Formats: sequence, C-alpha cells, structure tokens
Amino acid sequence: MSETDVRLDKVRKSFGAVMAVNDVTLDIERGTIFSLLGPSGCGKTTTLRLIAGFEQPSAGEVYIRGQRVTAIPPYRRDFSMVFQSYALFPHLNVAENVAFGLRMRRVPRVERGAAVKEALGLVKLGELAGRYPRQLSGGQQQRVALARAIVVKPAVLLLDEPLGALDKMLREEMQVELRELQQRLGITAVFVTHDQEEALTLSDRVAVMRGGVIEQVGAPREIYDRPVSEFVAGFLGASNFLDGQVVSREGGIALIETAGGRVRVVAESAPVGAKVRLAVRPERVRMNHADGEGLSAQVRSIVYRGSVTHYYMDGAGGPLLAYAQNAAAGEWAIGEDVCCAWDVESGVLVAPERA
Amino acid sequence: MNDVKSRRVKSPGVKSLAAWALLTPPLAVALIFFVIPLLYLFYISLHAASPNEIYGSVLTLENYTSILSDSFYLGIIRRTLGTAAAILGLCLVIGYPVAYFVALLSPRRRMIVLLLLLFPLMVSNVVRAYGWVAILGRRGVINTGLRDFGVIDVPLDLLYNTEAVVVGLMTILLPYMVISIANTLSALDPRYEEAAQALGAGPVRTFLHVTLPLSTPGVASGMLLVFLLTLSAYVTITLLGGPRSKLLVSMVYDSVVGFQWPRAAALAFILLALALALTGVILAVLRPNRIEGTGR
Repeated sequence: MSETDVRLDKVRKSFGAVMAVNDVTLDIERGTIFSLLGPSGCGKTTTLRLIAGFEQPSAGEVYIRGQRVTAIPPYRRDFSMVFQSYALFPHLNVAENVAFGLRMRRVPRVERGAAVKEALGLVKLGELAGRYPRQLSGGQQQRVALARAIVVKPAVLLLDEPLGALDKMLREEMQVELRELQQRLGITAVFVTHDQEEALTLSDRVAVMRGGVIEQVGAPREIYDRPVSEFVAGFLGASNFLDGQVVSREGGIALIETAGGRVRVVAESAPVGAKVRLAVRPERVRMNHADGEGLSAQVRSIVYRGSVTHYYMDGAGGPLLAYAQNAAAGEWAIGEDVCCAWDVESGVLVAPERA
Repeated sequence: MNDVKSRRVKSPGVKSLAAWALLTPPLAVALIFFVIPLLYLFYISLHAASPNEIYGSVLTLENYTSILSDSFYLGIIRRTLGTAAAILGLCLVIGYPVAYFVALLSPRRRMIVLLLLLFPLMVSNVVRAYGWVAILGRRGVINTGLRDFGVIDVPLDLLYNTEAVVVGLMTILLPYMVISIANTLSALDPRYEEAAQALGAGPVRTFLHVTLPLSTPGVASGMLLVFLLTLSAYVTITLLGGPRSKLLVSMVYDSVVGFQWPRAAALAFILLALALALTGVILAVLRPNRIEGTGR
C-alpha cells in the first residue's frame, strides 16, 4: 500500500580516506517525515546531499519515486531543499524567490502568481510578498525558504537543519507548524537534525547515525524506548546503564544479576551466562523506601526542574538517575536510603560502547 | 553579560567625541589638499584668460559655453566616452570569464594567479606604452615580421589611433576588473547555486539568474575602477594615441601648456562631471547595494 519516495541502496561516500557515509540503505515512505539524527560529522548532511545529488556516491544507488537518479544531476531530480542558512536569493523579493522554482520549471506566469500566493498563504507571509530577504527576520526568512521549497510540489522535500538558526521558542513553534503543513500537503520529507527532541517531535521515522553508519531506524517511540545500543540510548536522552550477567530466563524474560541486585528484563535473545548491559530511562525509575523492592541506593543530589525533579543517586552498581513527576512526588532528602525499581518492560538490553 | 556590555560602552556623547577626534586629521587633510583647491579651481574656471595672470578679472561662464558649443571639443568628449566604453566592454567580456575561473581555484592558487595578473602593473606605464610602440610601430615587431614574410609592402598604421589606445589601456586595466569580480565570486556562498539547482535551474540558468546578478557588486566596482582610470589616463593615450586620438585629459594638458588656465580648469570640471554622471549611471543600472550579506 505504501509507496517508497526515496530509496538509498548500499550507498557509500568517501572524502579521501574518510568514509563519510558507509553502506547506508534506507526506504522513505510517501507522506512521512524521515529524520536523520546524529552528532556533527555523523554523515547525516552528506546523506541528504547524496539524495539531492550535490554529492556523488562512491558506491551504491539513489532512487527517487522508483527512478534511479544516481547519475542524474541535481536540477533534474524531483526534490527541493531548505538550507540551514536559507540561501534566499538576496536580489529577488519574497514573491520572486518563491516563484523561482516555478520559473525554472517554465510554469506560465498566471499559474505562477496563483501558486506563489497560495504558498505564501500557507506559511502566513502573504503580506510580505514585496519585501527583500534582508528586510525579514530569521523566522520570516525560514518561512520564505519553506514556501519556495513546497511551491514546486516536489517528490521529496529535503531539510538541512532548517530550524537550527532560530531561537528555542520560535523553533518549537516552527516544529509544530512544519509538521502540520507536511501532513496537510502529504509531503515526503527528509529532515536532518542533531537535536533529538526535534527529531522525536517531527518524525514518523528516525534514523540515528554515527560515523557514517545508521545505528538504528524506527518510529520515535521505538528508538527512544527500545534503543539497540548504548549510543542510541545515550544520544536520545538520559539513560541509566547497568552491567550484569544473565542468570536464568523464562519465556521472554531474563533475570540479570547486577552489582546492586537482581533485575528482570524483557529480552528475547540474551542466552544464560551472557554479560549484558541494561539501559533504563530515568523517568521509568520508581523510588521506594529503603525496605521496598528494587536496587538499593542513596540520594546524592536533587535538582528541582518545575514539572519534574531529578534525583541523582549512588547504587552498588554505579550512579542511578530518576525523574519524578512533581504532582505525584513522594519527597526524598539528600543522603536518604532508597530502593529503585522499574517495570520489567522498561529495561532494555543494549549493545555496549566499544570502550 | 548585559551589565558588562553596558559598562564598557561609553555614553553617546563621549563616543561621538572620540569618533570626531579620530576623524578630524584625515578630514583636515582632505579639506586643505582637496576640497579647497577644487573650489579654487572651480573659481578659476569661471574667469576669462589673462596674458600675465593665472586668470583674468572678468567673471564669466564663457569657458564652459565655448567648450560645450565647439564641435571640436564635443568630438573629443564623444571620443573620450567611446574609448572608455570600448575599454569597459572589452574588460568585462574578457575579464568576467577569467574571474569566474580564478574564483573556482583554491584560495592558495587564486592568490598566485592574482599576483601574476598584478605583475604587469609593476612595470611603469611609460615603459609599457613604449613596449606597445615597439610592437605596433611602423618599424615594430608586427610590421617588420609581416614585411619579412612578404604579406605587406607598406607598413600598416597600427599606432596613433583610438584602437591602439583601447588595446594599450585595456591591457593595463583588465587586472582591476578581474580582481574585483573574482573577489566577489569567490566570497559567494555556494548554497545560492545549490538552491538554484534544487529548484530546477541547470548550470546556464543558475549562472544567468543567480551567479551573475549576485556578482554585480564586483562588476560595478570593476567597471568604476576601469572607467575612472580610463578618464584619468594620460601617458598611455599620449604615447599610443598620438596627436590624432586625443582625449579630454590631453585637452587639459594642452590648455595648461598654452597658459589657458581658466580653460584647463573648465575642461577639468567637465571631465569630473562626466566621471560623476557615468558613475551614477553604472550604479543606477547595476544597483550593487541591493546585494547584501552574500558572502556568509
């Protein structure tokens, strides 16, 4: 039922001795936002530029709407792009900037005017059509760049950290707007970002990249709740990591011996005797009184953050972190002995970092 | 952060006082050595000539009216503008492609090429003009060469005409055009060209619709340099143009030599007016200031 708008097949890109993108295979479904998430230098921007054709892959193939475009120059590929710096043409006004792609596609003048008007209406900039880019604020420039990219109705919209230059408030506002616009128009979009919150907010699917390799692809909830590696777990937010050994298993649940005590975790694959690393999100950690269930620990410091409180604790197996909702908070004091527990499905076995 | 800033910034009065203190010496120099002499020159141009003074006692517009109604002078003005236009056109047509490829080079290579382009400017204009004489003259390299090969019997008149002036000046001024344009092009954010391609513009249309308009600041400054240097060139046009291809500058010189000081002053002001007017035209047509912050 779902069609693939962008497909990368075993794509590699090396710059000299540096492998920027290493054997990346991706399928991006029509009408979805796909995020490439990772730290700087992970190859996410290069991957985007490979889809655009600004970079030529060293190996592998790129497809847009089923057509192999690997050898096709960027201006013949069916995509448009929003750049981090926006790259609005300074010698053209807002309307002319938005009309540029239509002019290049030889759309007749009359249709052009109507389409430009509609696109500017979508980004709520209708009244600024005659302004020049230098007369606009950063947020307005961002909207013009977006209008310029969507007006040509591309098969895929590429976004290279488009919100990176905006301040936090405006950024969150634009995230919501971008998401609404994308869903209204049913656009397929590839979104590059290093901001995990942004990726989780905006995306249907997220690919977490590191060192030119995709570590994990999945829906936001999936990669947040079931990270496959310590890197993914750590990059998408805070996590507790516990080392242990599988002592027994019944069904899909493994019993793991850690330095602080035994914990049970959903794990399909780990055999008895295997050394494993367990990741638990701090908001999943429940704090109980010292004689309760779970791993014992002592509260080291407390950070009050308004809606939540962060408890930093020392346990036998290393530090532990818990986020407690303040509405339901039992109060704990520094130095107090507590027990930490979590649901059996809240722990995840992850591939440990190569030390 | 804000506190530190506000403490460091002095009150506006103190700040503008410091600005004036820094500006006063250069302003004074400009006033004494440029503005006042210029006004004095203009004052001279409004007088009749005098056999034993720099200027006579009668206040008159005669110098301007006689020059601007004299077909000889109008012809010279026309020739001056024509020569300048030809040099400008050639510098643009030859200079832009050169600049385009220079801008594609790595910064290190670009520096080397620009230094090579500047190298001819290190030779005196007099020496270079005589170099052209040695090439284009009746006994020059070209004529003797052609005669030795039996192509011609009578030497060609390659020297002492407008074409010789155009070629001679163009070769001197071309580097200014190339350097101006190359600097603008190499500072251009490559994202603009990528944005054009992402919107479906091929290489030719990307150049015509994006690169070329965004390079107008460099084109404008190159044109102004070439144009103004053409108007004020003297050695080259005298040595290569001879008596039959004189330009407005030559007339100023001739008037001075003939002790026609007020006329020389009037000619100088007509030259200045031409320079200002055409500078205005170039800026109005290219509007380089509409391109802002392209180099980020």
